[in-house]
Amino acid sequence: MMQEARGKRQETRGKGQEAGSTHHGSRITLSQINLRGGLALIRRTWLSWVQHRSFFFLLAFGWMVPPLIYLFVWSTAAGGGTVGGFSRGQFVAYYLILIVVNQLTYSQTNWTVGDVIRYGGMNSLLLRPLSPVFDALSSEVAGKVVYMLFIVPVTAVLALWLRPELHVTLQNGLAFVPALALAWALRFFWGYWLALLAFWATRADALLALQDALIFLLAGQVAPTALLPGILHQAATWLPFRYMVGFPVEVLTGQLDAAGILTGFAFQLGWLAVTLALFSVMWRTGVKRYSAVGG
Amino acid sequence: MDYLKLIKRFIVIAFQDVLAYRMNFWISLLYSVLNLGTGVLGIVVLFSQVETLRGWTLASTLALLGVYLTLGALRGLFIGPSLEALAGMDGEVWTGQFDFTLLRPVDVQFLASFRHWRPLALLDLLLALGVLGTGMAQMGQTLTPGRVLAFVVGMAAGLLILYAILLAFSALVFWSPGFLFTWLFNALLQMARYPVGLYPGWLRLVLTWIVPVGVMTTIPAQALSGDLPTGMLAGAVALALAFFAGATALFRTGLRRYASASS
Repeated sequence: MMQEARGKRQETRGKGQEAGSTHHGSRITLSQINLRGGLALIRRTWLSWVQHRSFFFLLAFGWMVPPLIYLFVWSTAAGGGTVGGFSRGQFVAYYLILIVVNQLTYSQTNWTVGDVIRYGGMNSLLLRPLSPVFDALSSEVAGKVVYMLFIVPVTAVLALWLRPELHVTLQNGLAFVPALALAWALRFFWGYWLALLAFWATRADALLALQDALIFLLAGQVAPTALLPGILHQAATWLPFRYMVGFPVEVLTGQLDAAGILTGFAFQLGWLAVTLALFSVMWRTGVKRYSAVGG
Repeated sequence: MDYLKLIKRFIVIAFQDVLAYRMNFWISLLYSVLNLGTGVLGIVVLFSQVETLRGWTLASTLALLGVYLTLGALRGLFIGPSLEALAGMDGEVWTGQFDFTLLRPVDVQFLASFRHWRPLALLDLLLALGVLGTGMAQMGQTLTPGRVLAFVVGMAAGLLILYAILLAFSALVFWSPGFLFTWLFNALLQMARYPVGLYPGWLRLVLTWIVPVGVMTTIPAQALSGDLPTGMLAGAVALALAFFAGATALFRTGLRRYASASS
């Protein structure tokens, strides 16, 4: 699965590199190069991804199924009454929003960064007059657009059919936007620093699988975190994973009071600061160590 | 039996191959444990909120998960790797390597289904049987020979259905190389982690008759707990045989379309 994605990305990267080098030749100031080159790269990557959309639709469908399973199972559990304070309609609303949020914050780049390092593809990225983060960001933007083309219509149809129960207050709606943005940033950089371990260990991607498992358990997929029993609930509160997916969903569906929302933001910002620090340390020491293989 | 001798040879080769990559053993173990852990905890979380759900308890749902994991492990042991080498990405049909398979003096479907083995899947199998055993012990049901027999027959039917569906999808590669419908099927297969009875009515029908992934796990699990309605087992066996015949026919038809490939 990832091999195919990698192929697509390498293709993209080759072409993007040409665009980068022409900019380099035309002597513009550094900041202009970054912005123009970056935007060109983002546009290019996006166009390439849209061409391969059926492949990405299939991936998006695969990611959508686990939350859908829990949507159905919890709906059945609630039946006509409630389970843990949730009615059937509330479970439906929670999981439909979770499907969208999960897709918006999921960062496929994390899997490819490690490969780029292992296969020596980092060379061309480092030689570009752009920070390699632009490369990751361009796939992020491209990916989000393509996946949303699939996820939004499907979720809308499911919503019409399964009758979710959702009352969004102005306060919750407003708090949702920064919560979602922070969730994306946290998940992106957390995955990125884990992927950078590939500078030291060849099979660091195994840790990404561990991360996905923890997100599945603690970020609100298997159940809204409020329903997790004992120690799992404690872990969900203190570890960063809930703040990557579940927290924005809980905000929008009105599960949290004002204090809960503020505490959540505090955790999100705290973990984001830790993650950014880890990321910059890993990046600086890793690039110094980096030596390409192959050609 | 030549076929059995061949299978033995294939397995020995796979073991020799796997011993060369020792680090992969630990990584595989990690993946197996993660797969098991998320599955079990998912069920534990659900049943921490409700006692029973449409007649299913923590114990019987665990047993069902054990069935699901066992089928997954058997698939990973040989069906998956063999068919993947045939029709997967950069598979033999795609590269034209399939010519050499066709030239061998053995049944093509046999070779395509049994050639490649992945011994590390035995880890999954052990863990899966552990879950199954735990679930059964928790159920506290006495195992009569009748139930064990029904369970074994149900498992065989489930495995045959799984194989038939995968074979059929692999056969489609002869019509359209680069076909990724196995992925679509993998996504649907995950639904078999839970009893079909927990899904809404229309989905239950789809998972029983159209893409019978629900049959694969629910019937063996019900056989163990003695909840299996009479006739269902016979129905499952008939369904499995029908799927197997259909998939084999499709594979043979596809085979005739194969016209090699060149680079």
